[in-house]
Amino acid sequence: MLLRQPTDALRGSLDLLVLKTLSLDAMHGWGISQRIQQISAGVLEVNQGSLYPALQRMEKTGLITSEWGVTDNNRRARYYRLTASGRRALGVELKSWRQFAVGLEAVLSAT
Amino acid sequence: MSWLDAARARIRLLSRHDSDARFDDEIRFHIDMEAQQIARTTGVDVREARRRATIHFGGVEGHRETLRDGRGLRWLGGLRLDLTLGVRMLRKSPGLTVVGVLGMAVAVAIGCITYGVIYTFFGRDIPIDGGDRVVMIGNYDPATSDEARETHLHDLGEWKRSVPAFAEIAAFHTVDRNFISLNARPEPVRVAEMTASGFRIARVQPILGRFLVDEDERPGATPVVVIREDVWRERFAGDSSVIGRTIALGVAMHTIVGVMPRTFGFPINNRVWTPFRLDPMAFPPGKAPAIRVFARLAAGASRSDAETQAALLQSRRDATSPQELRGLRPRVFPYALAFADAPNLAWVMHLIQFAISLLLVVIGVNVAVLVYARTAGRAGEIAIRTALGASRSRIVAQLFAEAFVLSGIAAAVGLAVGSLGLRYMQVYSEIMVGEEFPYWWHFGVSTGMVLYVLVLAAVGAAVVGVLPAIQATGRGVRARLQQLGAGGGGMKLGRAWTTMIVAQVAIAVTLLPIVAYGIVDFVQQRRAARLTYATSQWMTAALHVDEEQRGSEDGLEPDDDTANRARHAALANELVVRLRRDPAVSDALLMSAIPGDESAMRIVTDTVTRTPQSSTQSSAQRARQPGQATDAAFDVRMAAVDPTFFRAFGVPLLTGRTLDRTDAIAVATDSSLSLPIPIVVNQPFAATVFAGGNVIGRRVRVAPPSRTRASQPAARRSDPWYEIVGVVADFAGADRPSAKHLVMYRPFGMSGPRRSIVAVQTKGIQPASFAGTLRQTSVAVDPMLRIMEARPLDDTLNPERVLDRVIFAGGALFVLSVLLLSAAGIHALMAFTIERRRREIGIRSALGAGARQVITAVMSHAARQVGIGLAIGMVLATAALQGILGWTWSTVSILVMLGVALFMGAVGIVAAWRPARAALRIDPTEALRSE
Repeated sequence: MLLRQPTDALRGSLDLLVLKTLSLDAMHGWGISQRIQQISAGVLEVNQGSLYPALQRMEKTGLITSEWGVTDNNRRARYYRLTASGRRALGVELKSWRQFAVGLEAVLSAT
Repeated sequence: MSWLDAARARIRLLSRHDSDARFDDEIRFHIDMEAQQIARTTGVDVREARRRATIHFGGVEGHRETLRDGRGLRWLGGLRLDLTLGVRMLRKSPGLTVVGVLGMAVAVAIGCITYGVIYTFFGRDIPIDGGDRVVMIGNYDPATSDEARETHLHDLGEWKRSVPAFAEIAAFHTVDRNFISLNARPEPVRVAEMTASGFRIARVQPILGRFLVDEDERPGATPVVVIREDVWRERFAGDSSVIGRTIALGVAMHTIVGVMPRTFGFPINNRVWTPFRLDPMAFPPGKAPAIRVFARLAAGASRSDAETQAALLQSRRDATSPQELRGLRPRVFPYALAFADAPNLAWVMHLIQFAISLLLVVIGVNVAVLVYARTAGRAGEIAIRTALGASRSRIVAQLFAEAFVLSGIAAAVGLAVGSLGLRYMQVYSEIMVGEEFPYWWHFGVSTGMVLYVLVLAAVGAAVVGVLPAIQATGRGVRARLQQLGAGGGGMKLGRAWTTMIVAQVAIAVTLLPIVAYGIVDFVQQRRAARLTYATSQWMTAALHVDEEQRGSEDGLEPDDDTANRARHAALANELVVRLRRDPAVSDALLMSAIPGDESAMRIVTDTVTRTPQSSTQSSAQRARQPGQATDAAFDVRMAAVDPTFFRAFGVPLLTGRTLDRTDAIAVATDSSLSLPIPIVVNQPFAATVFAGGNVIGRRVRVAPPSRTRASQPAARRSDPWYEIVGVVADFAGADRPSAKHLVMYRPFGMSGPRRSIVAVQTKGIQPASFAGTLRQTSVAVDPMLRIMEARPLDDTLNPERVLDRVIFAGGALFVLSVLLLSAAGIHALMAFTIERRRREIGIRSALGAGARQVITAVMSHAARQVGIGLAIGMVLATAALQGILGWTWSTVSILVMLGVALFMGAVGIVAAWRPARAALRIDPTEALRSE
């Protein structure tokens, strides 16, 4: 099952970031990458190309769903939204990420 | 519903084309947006912004690949590649492809036909609402498994009252009647006299009016009739005011009350229904007309419940029943099975199906051996692939996919041929069985059949592909890799291969003479039937006279048969008289049977001193007289014919005279049967029964029944003598043109049979178009006189020949495929031997061996196998020919066998030719270089 390995930080974190971003609003791929960049004040920059395989993977496991929509400036775009199980997974993953971060911090700050 | 979302997403992603297009759209949108933003924030021009956005996105192709992998379709690409490779390999070895496809297609076609027939007979419920709950109930004699339908009428009421497992119970029987209505030609129909409950069980609504109701069955109720849509459209042009009109069935008038839809043929294949009015009180127990009883099971009740309840009734009644009716057992079985010959033998049929499926496995193994020989040639390729890291399962999968292409094509061809065969059978059965052919029987392609064929294809592919693949990828792979440089695969052909080639040659040799015999016979009979007798302008039809209170063919025999016979003869003769007056008729005559369909009987001659084994008899004729050697009785056929019969059909008189009018009158007026009845016999009769001597004036009579032969050596005193007055040439018969029946013809007299045939020769019009006039004329003679099976004589003679042709074509196809398989086997064996003996041949050539020695060396192996196969096949063929066709050793049979041997030898040489030439071309220096 996806996102069950808290130590798999690199891959896990992208999924977590996407889930978190989509929990705010339905969004297209480019919007997701922009939003992550904005919120993290440019610290986290998603590799744009690898975002789509991640989205496909999450869609396949039923965490998110997608449909065609129209943007503000009238362009056709694929919008992703969180499913109920995606929302549950976000809760679980947030918790385990925080545990992971606390653990990591504890190890790194040990003298 | 996360699993539902996930499933939906997976299904959407499965379509490669759609998901690629979607990804392209998304990338385009993404890069556009990114480029716009770059242009906005940095002020570069659009092209530059686009370039940077693309770089930022990363390698598009790489991401696309990751996406495809993510969809889990990588194996699909692999399979596609394997299948493409498979097609390419088949194209590379066309010989193997043709042989493999043909061999397996024959097996698939045979499997298909068997499946179609078994499924039709045993696999279907009747196509009505809840058809699986409708059952047939019948009393059976446990000792003989015969159905005692004459007892059903008396049990019907009891079953209705005391078997709670039946929700509704119904009965029917069929009678043949002329359907006579205004403005349409009279036509014989099989009327279903069915209880109203039968319609309620069927649950099919009429399209017009009503179906039958219980009141219609009351004595004294107005006679009513329900017709089917096709009768309504053909005879009443679909007129909706048909309800209330009157028609006649024979002489009885009936009012039409309803029209049933065209798809409804219940209870068998019926178009006209009248109320069931048989009264059990009118018949003594066990002597009622035969009827069939069916029922719908009550909710929750099973067939065995019904059977138990009915059996209980029966056992109670046994105490009071007459002796001959005791011990009958009621049986309840699905309605649809009631019309298959043996409802309880369904499992036997499935066993046959299984055995026939095994045929494919046998042929598959055969093809597998051929594939193995080719795979052996690819041993090097397999070894290299293994070295490059291909797993064993990967290579096996690839070889399986290749074989699947082969068996898939074979399955498609087999299915096509099989469905063609089934269609032929459908047409043939409908012609031969007519209204007795249940309306839900369709020998067609069904979903089940397609699935069955797919399974056959998979099994075939597994046998053909996986067996050689496992062999080829076995432990020896590494060793072969080492030997690779030395040429030759190093794989071996085992004893199984040798046995198989021997067996194939043997089978081909066994079947060849039988097929050859079939061809010769077919051509001869065709010539005889087409050229000698003018049958093309003739039509024949069966004449029946309705006899009231008789339940069609299976009803009671009336006690006084003579009156009925006389009435029949009178009406038939009147019909002929009227027909002869018709300007479109050049001749009309009566006979008791269509040529070839004469009634069989056993006769003895006026003297038994003669030895029947005479030199003038052909072996075939002798074989058909099993009883003659002991008691000089002969199986012959007899027909009563109009004196003009021989002249009309142009059957030449060989000796004596033909029959004439005075013969018929003499026979009719001789009530004491003291005078011998004059007969004309055909040439085979004269040749066989009287050894070709002078037969005029010789006498024969009916042989006593074989059971009482010991106690009653002579014929019964009352049996008349038949005296031969003439001999005619043989009239090619209908059923088996090849069988030369011994036929005797007696005059068709006044006291004719109850069923006769009228033959009409038309003038200026096609015989087929005369059927309507014939019916009208017969109804004008008497509405009770029915014309059945009115067809051109050629058509009547043909269906039987058609069946022969189908069997013969099937046999020929089978022999061809066996021949091809054995030729391919010999070819592969030779090629393989030469490949393995390259170096040896090279050395021999280098040492100065000539072409002849080389050929002898390489051919000896194949020659030995063909030789053994030939020997075994010859023995089997001789046995088969003697057993089936009654051959003995004669010059002709020796010539045929010699021909077969030469032919098989030629096949062997042709098959070995190419490999042998390849052996001659081996260059010694090339072959030895690997040393």
